[in-house]
Amino acid sequence: MDTISPKRVKACRSTIRLSGTRAVSREAITSSSEQVLTQAPDISSRTDVRFEQILASVVFNEHLTGDYWLIEVEAPTIAGRLSPGQFVNIRIDGSLAPYLRRPFSVYRLSPDRRRLQVAYKLLGQGSRLMKSTMPQGGVCDLVGPFGRGFRLPENARRIAVIGRGIGIAALPTLVDDAAKRGIEVHGFLSARTAPNLVALDIFASHGFPVVTHTDEQSQGMVTDHLVAVAEKLDFDGFYVCGSNRLARAVHALADRKHARAEVAMEQHMACGFGDCHGCVVQVNLEPSGRDKAFREVCHYGPVFDTWEIVNASA
Amino acid sequence: MPAPSLTVTIAGIQMKNPLTVGSGTYGHHGRFSQFFPVDVMGALFPKTIRSYRWPGNPPPRVHEVPAGLHSSVGIPCNDWSYFLDHDVPVLRSLNVPVIQSVIGRTEDEYVEIARKCSALGVFSGLELNLSCPNTKQGGVDFGYDADASFRLVRRVRDATTLPVIAKLAPDYSSLTKVAKSVEAAGADAISLVNAPRAMCIDYRTRKPIIGNKIGSLSGAAIKPMAVYMVWEVYQAVSIPLFGMGGVTDYRDVIEFMAAGARSVAFGTINYVDPMALPRALADLTAWLTENAIDDVNDLVGAAHDKTNQITIGVQAPERVRASVDG
Repeated sequence: MDTISPKRVKACRSTIRLSGTRAVSREAITSSSEQVLTQAPDISSRTDVRFEQILASVVFNEHLTGDYWLIEVEAPTIAGRLSPGQFVNIRIDGSLAPYLRRPFSVYRLSPDRRRLQVAYKLLGQGSRLMKSTMPQGGVCDLVGPFGRGFRLPENARRIAVIGRGIGIAALPTLVDDAAKRGIEVHGFLSARTAPNLVALDIFASHGFPVVTHTDEQSQGMVTDHLVAVAEKLDFDGFYVCGSNRLARAVHALADRKHARAEVAMEQHMACGFGDCHGCVVQVNLEPSGRDKAFREVCHYGPVFDTWEIVNASA
Repeated sequence: MPAPSLTVTIAGIQMKNPLTVGSGTYGHHGRFSQFFPVDVMGALFPKTIRSYRWPGNPPPRVHEVPAGLHSSVGIPCNDWSYFLDHDVPVLRSLNVPVIQSVIGRTEDEYVEIARKCSALGVFSGLELNLSCPNTKQGGVDFGYDADASFRLVRRVRDATTLPVIAKLAPDYSSLTKVAKSVEAAGADAISLVNAPRAMCIDYRTRKPIIGNKIGSLSGAAIKPMAVYMVWEVYQAVSIPLFGMGGVTDYRDVIEFMAAGARSVAFGTINYVDPMALPRALADLTAWLTENAIDDVNDLVGAAHDKTNQITIGVQAPERVRASVDG
């Protein structure tokens, strides 16, 4: 008889259940169903997908700042191959509500790349369970790394990273990576309130300048500052996360400056590895925006060129 | 103690164990192989294909609900040449029976895709996904209409020598009628249930959440409904059944088999817990051994009381009625 041995399965035994999907602004992802799309997804052509499921030991799970918590887990196989901008999918043991895994950007990797951190906002049932069911020494069921991350230009000297709210949590791995390559990073971070500006310490540790913006104390948009700085300094790339409004503003600026600009997208997601085709967004297939298609955020993204996304939805 | 026998034969297809995956929850195989080898399962149902390119539905396509997934993906599909170049070579290399799920908008489109698939010599069977609006008959799903199901299955039956499996829509009023009609039309097996229709409305906007407005519900939430439908159809037909709907672990496998399924498919749980199927296989094997059941086929239909069939609307026994009245 030919079955998988119980012993082998035990290694991946995880009666772990789930978590919620990440919310995203509705206006940014609605599209016209009448629109004729010229291409169907063809993600099975990519053979470079490499991910796995692990039951990671929790190193700590503690308050970060503002509404945010930070969990660190021992995950050498995932952390070892993760590139900035990729994400992991976490499940909460035994939960039927939320039922699905929840996608999270990786906040930071340990210098030896054996551990990874995820910053999460205490928001609903899923994040509360993440706080209560994964104590230090406990277990975190995660799958990953997934998706296509940020791409730094070959000879980049200076980049700008622009983050809003929890979107900021996707930037530190990119900041660390850029620092290692000798690239100067300028941060433009925005949040509802000052305590929710995460990662300021990480920019400071590299000596990188940061402009902050809060809804309660600042006027305009954080990109107003970016535009002003970009008048004086040349940037080789712009990296946005957490707001489609910011993405549009950055895209316009980058277009004017002939620099590359990328945006990390969010979408409701089920599997995270490209099989359910649930997390599509409508994208432009070329900069003119003439041809469009649905693309899975988990696979073609989460990081896209801004021209793929901006004005892609009718 | 000898290991229990797990082999089942369904529609002439021999499976080394009764476990499989619901079409569309495992892709065409590629990525899932990173979690476990495909030959752990008894047969593979790859994602449904069409004879034409189809972009699928607008986002958002998925919305989570308690114990379930509300979705309307719309079965996106590349064109046939893409399927030939990218998916068929992979499927051909697998050492498990592959039962390809197909769909169309008209009878002709079903027949066309069935013919094309049969000619490849790759597949052990064809599953007809009947949950598609019949565009020539006012847009009612084939699977809701006994006559349309009969005609469709009969035409595909005549067009292929492969075993034909009809996947039924979970519609209470037409369920047994459609099951009997596809059996009469020559279907070799039935798979059920497909995900029932569902809708979620955002209370803030008072508008449907899913891009397609109407979607389906899958996941653990639908299991009792699915088990009932398998139980009902088992009594109505004599062809074997693939059972599915909210399967999570080996206990659910036993439940579906007891209701009448000969094979049981893992669906939405694959997204949540990619190792659910191999773990259930190990647990099922251990459970059969512990309970001295030496053939998994003994589970099939075990829930049915053969001497005293109970159906909906049957009169309660006198004693029970008296106590209710009193």
